[in-house]
Amino acid sequence: MLKFIAGRLIVVLSVGLTLSIVTFFLLNYVIDPAQAIAGEDALFEEIEQIREQYGFDRSITVRYFEWFTGIFQGDLGESYYWNKPVISLLVDRAPETITLALMSVSVTILISIPLGIMAALNPNSLIDRMALGIAVTAQAVPNFWLGLIMILIFALAFPIFPVSGDKTLFHFVLPSIVLGASSVPAVMRLMRTGLLDVINADYIRTARSSGFYGWRLIFNHALRNALLPVVSVLAVQLGNKFGGSVITESVFAINGLGRLALESILGADIPTVQILVFVFAIIFLFFNLLADILNAYLDPRLRL
Amino acid sequence: MNKIKSLILSLLISLMFPINVFADKSDDTLVAAFSRELTQLDYHYGTKTEFLILGDMIDSGLFYVNKEDLSYVPDIASDFKIVDDTTIDINLRKNAKFHDGSEVTADDVVYTYNFIVKNEKNRRSKKIKGWLESIEKTGKHSIRFKSKYPYANLFNDLYRIKIRKNGIMGTEGNWNDSAQLNELNGTGPYKVVSFDPGVEVVLVRNDDYYGGPKGMPAIKNVVIRSIPDMGTQQAELMSGGIHWMYNVKKDIGEAMAKTGKADYQLGPSLRVGFLVLDAGGYSGEGNPITKLDVRRAMNHAINRESIAKNLIGGPAKAIHTACNPVVFGCFQDVKKYDYNPDGAKKLLAKAGYPNGFELDLWSYRDKEAAQAMAEDLGKVGIKVNLKHGKLSALNKARKNREIRAYFGTWGSTASPDTATISNIHWRDPAKGDRNLSGDPKVNELMLSAEQTLDVEKRKSLYAQGLKLIADQAYWVPLWSYSEGVLSSKSIDFKLDPDGYPRLWNITWK
Amino acid sequence: MIFKTFLKRLFPRSFDEQIYNLTPKELIIRKSSNHGGFKFGLFLLTVIFLFAIFGPVILDVSPYEQDLTKRLLPPVWKEGGTWEYIFGTDGNGRDYFARILYGTRISLTIGFGAACVGMIIGVTLGVCAGYFGGWVDQIVSYLLTCQLALPGLLLAMTIVFLIGPSITVVIFVIGATHWAFFLVVSRSATQKIKNLDYVTAASAIGASKFQIIMKDIIPNTVSQIIVIFTLEVGIAILNEASLSFLGVGIQPPTPSWGLLIAEGKEAIFFQPWLIILPGIALFTLVVSINMLGDGLRDVSDPNNKVSEE
Repeated sequence: MLKFIAGRLIVVLSVGLTLSIVTFFLLNYVIDPAQAIAGEDALFEEIEQIREQYGFDRSITVRYFEWFTGIFQGDLGESYYWNKPVISLLVDRAPETITLALMSVSVTILISIPLGIMAALNPNSLIDRMALGIAVTAQAVPNFWLGLIMILIFALAFPIFPVSGDKTLFHFVLPSIVLGASSVPAVMRLMRTGLLDVINADYIRTARSSGFYGWRLIFNHALRNALLPVVSVLAVQLGNKFGGSVITESVFAINGLGRLALESILGADIPTVQILVFVFAIIFLFFNLLADILNAYLDPRLRL
Repeated sequence: MNKIKSLILSLLISLMFPINVFADKSDDTLVAAFSRELTQLDYHYGTKTEFLILGDMIDSGLFYVNKEDLSYVPDIASDFKIVDDTTIDINLRKNAKFHDGSEVTADDVVYTYNFIVKNEKNRRSKKIKGWLESIEKTGKHSIRFKSKYPYANLFNDLYRIKIRKNGIMGTEGNWNDSAQLNELNGTGPYKVVSFDPGVEVVLVRNDDYYGGPKGMPAIKNVVIRSIPDMGTQQAELMSGGIHWMYNVKKDIGEAMAKTGKADYQLGPSLRVGFLVLDAGGYSGEGNPITKLDVRRAMNHAINRESIAKNLIGGPAKAIHTACNPVVFGCFQDVKKYDYNPDGAKKLLAKAGYPNGFELDLWSYRDKEAAQAMAEDLGKVGIKVNLKHGKLSALNKARKNREIRAYFGTWGSTASPDTATISNIHWRDPAKGDRNLSGDPKVNELMLSAEQTLDVEKRKSLYAQGLKLIADQAYWVPLWSYSEGVLSSKSIDFKLDPDGYPRLWNITWK
Repeated sequence: MIFKTFLKRLFPRSFDEQIYNLTPKELIIRKSSNHGGFKFGLFLLTVIFLFAIFGPVILDVSPYEQDLTKRLLPPVWKEGGTWEYIFGTDGNGRDYFARILYGTRISLTIGFGAACVGMIIGVTLGVCAGYFGGWVDQIVSYLLTCQLALPGLLLAMTIVFLIGPSITVVIFVIGATHWAFFLVVSRSATQKIKNLDYVTAASAIGASKFQIIMKDIIPNTVSQIIVIFTLEVGIAILNEASLSFLGVGIQPPTPSWGLLIAEGKEAIFFQPWLIILPGIALFTLVVSINMLGDGLRDVSDPNNKVSEE
């Protein structure tokens, strides 16, 4: 098991690094960072000053190796745009995104698990159809649109929630619903089919025929077995939420990593973009690894 | 834990009182919103308009732009004397103080300019070094500037350099660039209470402020929030979360005003829009744009009046010069191209393009106007592929000489002089990439005007240059913009003739 | 392992034990006739297709013609709306109905184009990985990990910046970031098929690897690929909308729905139809494609009992 994890960690790091190289060269090739930092009405001297100050006039390869060696000395680089170390930006912004990711996964759980259970217990009933309808809808609604509509309804027409910002957990409710909704279809379907399979499995049928019946049976046996795959999929979904936070955070003005990523790309803040791509990749892979380990742990058949 | 507590609290509060309680007149706190982030406080390290506004609130320079007649007036300076073409004597105000209470003296001013020139990391260094020969202290409150050549735009630079306390940025060879980034010991009408980069800056009135041309501020507390999304800003304004937002387009502003929850003003702005054309053939020799008739046809093809009136609105007007008619030196009696699509078609045919041609038009701002223009050009046969993206991508392509035509704009924020727009756009092509005219004469006329102090002579140089630009149709001058501001009913904000929002002059109604 | 996690997410049922012997045609005919969702999706999609192809021709409207004096007119059901502009006009005084109608073409083009690109990349890699195994499989797995771990939006933004946005570029960018499902499914199918008797027999009588892949393996994966393809079309359409919404997708004045929503965003409180109408169009199209895809998945899964009940 340890060997397996170590091997996967090496893959994770090398993938992160590959991506950082790709990002670095692509970004440097397409944009003029000096202009992006200076802004639209900057004077000629100001743009030139920035170009020289950050050494944008030197070759891309030289700059990449500078950055690369810095990483090994624990220096993640300095953001051009924010005038501060990238690491402190990450530390500042991460809590908001973690809160958002956790809350949105909670939303996913709160909606999809009960729906999935009810749908599985009453296959082809009205509830089942409704659950299917919700899944189909959630899959087809773009989340930037859902965000705008949510603001329109729940912040303006009925001012229950704040429009934007991240001061209190209350501010995170609407964004979490928007971000969480996108995972509902996958988790709900998995819950439903998983539970159906277990209910139809022989041992449950036997239990039913020998007098056990009803909710207790479902909770004690069927649900426990059906939840196992759901847990690992939830871990993967949690990993997805970080990279998926870009649009949601921008629409709701949440000051997290996703908005930082968008601002950094638009502001051509290459050091920050690079680290963020790296971080998002690592987080994604970490949660996938976690899902694999969970799978192996929960399902003895996979434990080799 | 705090967050959970506050969630429960806010849940309870919102159940009891459906409308949230916001900062307002009762606690003398004004909340303004910017779409762009304030990443630090020190204006010498920022270049965007938002930094200038903040800089004017918490800092002062030697001079300032008078909002009534757009002239430069002394700010920390009390008076000045032009000794000769390259020498100016300045006396300082005796009652100016830094926020820490210490007096502003000649030593501070000399230190500031030395720091700017000698430390290359601040954004003003190159610009000031370009003309500054020396600065010396001539008394406790007097200084003398010497310039390398007669420098016409001097007062604008003296306005943009904010005075720093002697020693606060370190000493030569040991400069501390980050000294004032997150806290600031300025001289302006407001002091910084707290600063959360990219989120908000909290200011409090400086009761020791000397007044000066900016005047004493009326409101005690000011919070500037960064809200990137304009829709979110509108929602905040309607629900009372903010009092003031700017860069608001006509349609939205008018619709907001109709709700009765906010006031909308659409006033003049110094910003102008224009198409820069590759007359010099930098993007490939013999391309259609290098032909004078084609460029003139483009000038005739775009219905600027209609776009200025219908899309931008307010005081926006079609312009015919490569500068905003209201700034100094913007000579108006040049060749004017009226809207005439048929004439444009004839000119295209004459130039050898009876069926038109395809053109990549780059743009980065004002997508609506860019599309409207593309449609107008299409009507005379110029099939436009609009390349609308970020300025940094446009700039890269321009550096690589890949651009045939782009839709540029220039703000001239708080610098009402043709020099600001012409300096960057008509530079020697070897030293800058925006002058695509390929005509050394334009560069000579437009830039020599900056090295001339005589007002009449400057005007005549600009007149000759602008005439040449219009005759040869090096640009398609488009329109002047309008500045739109939404303000809540509780505050009194008036837009100034240059569209520069002077937040420190806001009062409660 | 990454293949497995992925498969589980896509096909919660014990998918990998299935081998299909029926042609997709037989499957569809056999089971689709009593699958409600499938029929509804197919019907809706057909209607949308007809609209996209013939609508602009019959109705003779232009999505580009502007009249700056008729900006932001409300749709016909609102006060001040007229039948001349059923959905009103946009900020440039263009017929919003015409723009949404044309937008259907854009979305469909990009959805199918991108899914094709993704399919070609994914199936090629998947078949190679499954057939050759060993280090080829390892490299493909590494590529897949890279692709999954890279925030697709960021990559797409950068590439679109790089080459300059156009419909073709957007198709390729979306396609290049959406081949994972194709890969996983075709790889596992290939692994199963290549050990079947008739394939080993073909190999024994001297058929080349290429022949085996083209004649024996690819045809047998078709039914699963079609399912993935349908679902990917929906995903690609949503992706294009997101990119255009962020301003790095389709260029104006081309009427992409995502772009229409982005352009209407500032006016959300006053002209909400500017974002609601293209949003509904987008939703309808994606729902119809997804229902078709879900239906295909159900009918092509021999294990599925629920849909037959």
